[in-house]
Amino acid sequence: MAEADGGGDAKAPLSSSIPSGKDTAWFDVSSLLHRACHDLQNDELITGENFNLFAAMSALEIMDPKMDSGIVSTYYSVDEAIENGAAPIPLSFDRTSDIQCVIDIMDHFLACEATWHKGGSLAQTVFSCTYLFRPERTSSHALLHSFCRVIRATCSALVSAVSDARTNEEEDLFTMAYGLPLKANGDEKCLSMIHAVDETLCRQLKACKAPVSKKTVLEDIEPLQTHLDLEEGFCKAVLCRIRFRKHFYHVLTCLRKPQGRGLELAKKHIISCLSELDSMLNTEEFLRHNSACGTVGNEDEKTTASGCQPVGFDSTLNSRSAAPTPPRAIKLLSWKKAVNYFQKLLHDLDVICSYPLDPVFDGAMRFAVDVQKFQPDLVARAHIQLLLVQDGKLYGRESLFAVICKAALLPEGAKNHDIQKTESVQQLGQLLVTLFRVLCANTAWQRRKLGKILQDWRIIYVQLELAFRKEFGEAASTPVEQDLLLTVCKHILIWVEEQTYWIALRFLMLGFELELYSTDEYCMVYWYIYIILIKLAEKTHLKIMLSNDSSRRKSKKKKDFVKDVGKDYQVPPVLQLLQCYTYVAQGLMMLLASLRNENKIFLCQGPFNSEHERFVQHFELLQKACLPDHASFFSFSETVTNIRFATVSMHNCFKDAQKITKDLRGGFANDPDRLAELRQIEQVAEHNHVALNLLCRLGSLEPSLKISFDFIHHPHFVTASVKRS
Amino acid sequence: MDGPDREAVEKCDGSESNSVAIAKKLIHGRMLIGIKDGRFFVGAFYCMDKQGNIILQDAVEYRSTRRSSPSPMEHRGVGLILIPSACRTSCHVDCSVQDQLSLLSLDHHD
Repeated sequence: MAEADGGGDAKAPLSSSIPSGKDTAWFDVSSLLHRACHDLQNDELITGENFNLFAAMSALEIMDPKMDSGIVSTYYSVDEAIENGAAPIPLSFDRTSDIQCVIDIMDHFLACEATWHKGGSLAQTVFSCTYLFRPERTSSHALLHSFCRVIRATCSALVSAVSDARTNEEEDLFTMAYGLPLKANGDEKCLSMIHAVDETLCRQLKACKAPVSKKTVLEDIEPLQTHLDLEEGFCKAVLCRIRFRKHFYHVLTCLRKPQGRGLELAKKHIISCLSELDSMLNTEEFLRHNSACGTVGNEDEKTTASGCQPVGFDSTLNSRSAAPTPPRAIKLLSWKKAVNYFQKLLHDLDVICSYPLDPVFDGAMRFAVDVQKFQPDLVARAHIQLLLVQDGKLYGRESLFAVICKAALLPEGAKNHDIQKTESVQQLGQLLVTLFRVLCANTAWQRRKLGKILQDWRIIYVQLELAFRKEFGEAASTPVEQDLLLTVCKHILIWVEEQTYWIALRFLMLGFELELYSTDEYCMVYWYIYIILIKLAEKTHLKIMLSNDSSRRKSKKKKDFVKDVGKDYQVPPVLQLLQCYTYVAQGLMMLLASLRNENKIFLCQGPFNSEHERFVQHFELLQKACLPDHASFFSFSETVTNIRFATVSMHNCFKDAQKITKDLRGGFANDPDRLAELRQIEQVAEHNHVALNLLCRLGSLEPSLKISFDFIHHPHFVTASVKRS
Repeated sequence: MDGPDREAVEKCDGSESNSVAIAKKLIHGRMLIGIKDGRFFVGAFYCMDKQGNIILQDAVEYRSTRRSSPSPMEHRGVGLILIPSACRTSCHVDCSVQDQLSLLSLDHHD
């Protein structure tokens, strides 16, 4: 009989667990299919009418480890693993071994958690621990039980934070729990349990350190483990680990308090966390020296301080919970690297907590941009985002319309204007929220999104104009109302234009950070940056002038008006800084253009794309959004074609930039970040000026000169180096 | 029995053999396939090739929670899957008694 192998095995579950349909039964067709296979031609398939070969190619292949996440390896299920002693309670009947094992579990958890933060799946990392399942099992072991609870509570809080921030990047697999028990009943009491364990440990530590005479009084305290000479070391090792968990959980809960009310307290817990991490590192030698397993494997790869493998972890158990397909193979971070990861995370969170939460638009933008300099990871970035926009308000305090009014330099009363109820203005608010979210994303995703929203900002400008015209025609009846509406509209429109150019500028600058431009493309990039900066400065200037006009019209009489215009006006520092950048960009563009035209180097030539094609590739999104109008490859070519070293104005660009940086030092005296930025720009201008002078003198006379451009002083503006080869 | 000769004649004609025709009738039907590691997959029969590799559509994976049976079974959806013939240990289709009888009778003509 041509029954398939295992046909007998197949019968038992068939009848009970995998029911057939109503009035039907399972019928063995293996021999029929076997004959059909024999009769088929080599390239023939048995298919139905709507068969699609392309779709069929996407089928997951069973028993292929890369595609089949259900392959049975060690145990069929968590319960089977537990029944077979994979996660014993207690971990050892020898109390010293038990404590050593618990410490190893704590350390391994840290490594798993850091790996999870960095993009591993929960199932392969934190939930590879069998002890996290069936929480009632660990209740007899206070230390392990409270630790597991705080781990689950911490992970749950983090998943909630990252999900709320909706940082939907490639790291979104981070929040997928796929049915893992992220929350268990009673986890909310984890802190009180940890506290109780902390108290017990403190008493045990005190007892072991007490002089012999006092020991009689403290005799009723059972020591942590059996080797009294090691008691102090083990107590300290456990204490710093559970205290770290306690403080870290507090950091997360404080950060989530609305309107940033918990930031001060979060800072204190961050300091405690960092201190406990240092203590943990200090326990490494003791634990390694007194480990049960001796020296094992690679020092750099060990996931525990002792170097031992932890009990109760199996990442294959939950591979079915990882995703529909098996996740890519991951390597757990080593324990040391995990500690370093948490140190960096806490540092980044500390920076976030230190920012003054002044609900001012420019301040908030600077906050979002400046924090990115530390290259924060996903967890920190999610918290920045959650802090920035809460309940549709900036820092949960100021409505978006009020923020826009203030940023557009409108008078205080404007924020109550009815215009905020129009759909376009509400959409503008949404665009603002999107902008903040985008600025909190990782650099690559951020640049991509900034490019995409350029069109949205252009469109909203047009929509706002139309909406304002309509309001002017309909709602504003008295001259006073009309005057106010006109002011509000003008200010908002100019502000929208200013922000659009700011976004364009950031989009271009991030290209340097992502190394998207080759050196022979720098000329066109700096040209584009130059024209964007000009427009940005123009809009900023207009905004300030508009605001000055509005306030002057209100406060001054007509006869004094003309007299004051010339006297009062001083270029504000923010404009001067933009002018400075403009000079540097212009200088670099001209320097590179001269080198192309005279020395025939850094020419944008290649076998695949023409310079025009490369121009389109880089600036397509800006061109589509008409930023600015009439900018094109043609206008770029026209500008750079005739630039030579002899062009006099060129000499003044870097020099003018240097002059402005010196003048600005006073303007930014109380702003250390801005002062640092100024120093960087000054260096760029100075070094480029020297290089330019050298090249002007030597020009194309010395073919042995090697000219290179590097980001030595500033991440976005290159410095030229001229060397003899 | 003129089965093999008749088969040869049918192939020369370009028309498919009886077994192939019957197998084609099973397409889109509910199929249960047992795998070497003890798992079962139930899905709509989508495709089979000469080597006996089978594709199931909207498949559900069943497996027991313990190595030793009897034990409760877990299941989860796995979508479109390909089961290589080398891992296949059993193959059943869900059909009525009438269909079973007709399948048996058609089969015996070979």
